[in-house]
Amino acid sequence: MSGSAEDGSGGAAERPRGRRARGSGADGLQAERTLLAWQRTLIVLVAVALLYLRDPLLPGGAQTGGEPLHRLFPVLGVLAALGVLIVHLRRRWRITEHGLHDDTTGRPPAPVARPWALVLMSAAACLLAVAAAASALPA
Amino acid sequence: MLIVNDGRRGMAEGRDPSIGGPTDAGAERSGGSRGAEPDYRFTLANERTFLAWIRTALALVAGAVAVLHLVPLKWDSGVRLAVGFALTGLAIVITVYAPLRWLRVQKAMRRDQALPMSALPVITAVGVALVCAVVLLGNYWS
Repeated sequence: MSGSAEDGSGGAAERPRGRRARGSGADGLQAERTLLAWQRTLIVLVAVALLYLRDPLLPGGAQTGGEPLHRLFPVLGVLAALGVLIVHLRRRWRITEHGLHDDTTGRPPAPVARPWALVLMSAAACLLAVAAAASALPA
Repeated sequence: MLIVNDGRRGMAEGRDPSIGGPTDAGAERSGGSRGAEPDYRFTLANERTFLAWIRTALALVAGAVAVLHLVPLKWDSGVRLAVGFALTGLAIVITVYAPLRWLRVQKAMRRDQALPMSALPVITAVGVALVCAVVLLGNYWS
C-alpha cells in the first residue's frame, strides 16, 4: 500500500523528500489514511467493548464472567477514553485543515494524534484485555 | 557499538565529544527530542503501524472474550481458561509494547539510524500457533 503511494509521488519528482508539501492533495492523503486507520481502530474498540458487555449466546452455555454490573465499569472506562480520543482527533483534524498543514511546521501534522493519545489508545485496549481475563477467574 | 555511535554523532554536529557526552545522556532520558524530525510520511506510517498492532491486540481480546464468556464450548475448563488467558496475555504484551515500539522507531528515524529489530512478530506468531494447537486439543479431548 505505502509502496504504491511512494512510487506515485516518486515519479513526478526524483526526490519526494525535498518537495514542498503545502496544499498538495497527494500529500494530504497520507494524513487522511492515518485518520482512517484511527477510525478503524476506534470502531474495533467499540465492537470489542460491546462484545465483552454482551450476555452469553446460549443460556447456561458459557460462564457469564461475573455480574453484568461489574462488567460495566471497564466498558465505561473504555468509552471515556474513546470520547477523549474522538474529540482530540476531531479538533486536531480541524485545526490542521483536514490534515493539510500544521501551523507550527507548515507541513501535514505528524503524527495525526499527539503521542499521549497513542498511549491512551493502548491503555484502553489493555484495560479491556485485563477485564476480560479478570472476570473469567474462577471465584 | 554505543561508543562508536556517540563519537559519530558528536563529529556530525561538529561538537567536542567531551562536552557532547553529558548532554547526549540527558537527551536519551528526555524522550529523544534529539536529531532532525523525519519526513512526515514516515512518522505517519509509524503511527499506522502502531494502530495496526492495536487492532491485532483488540482482535485477540475479542477471541478471548468469545472463548471465556460467550461461546458455549464443551471443553475442559482448564483448556478454556488456558486459551483465554493466553490470548489476553498476548494482547497485553502487544498493547504494552506498541507505544514503546512507536517511540523507539521514531527516535531511530530522527537520528537517521537503522530501525530497531523487534521480537514481537515472532512472539505473536508463536503464541497464536500455540493457541491454535490448544484449541485443537480442546476440541478432541474430553
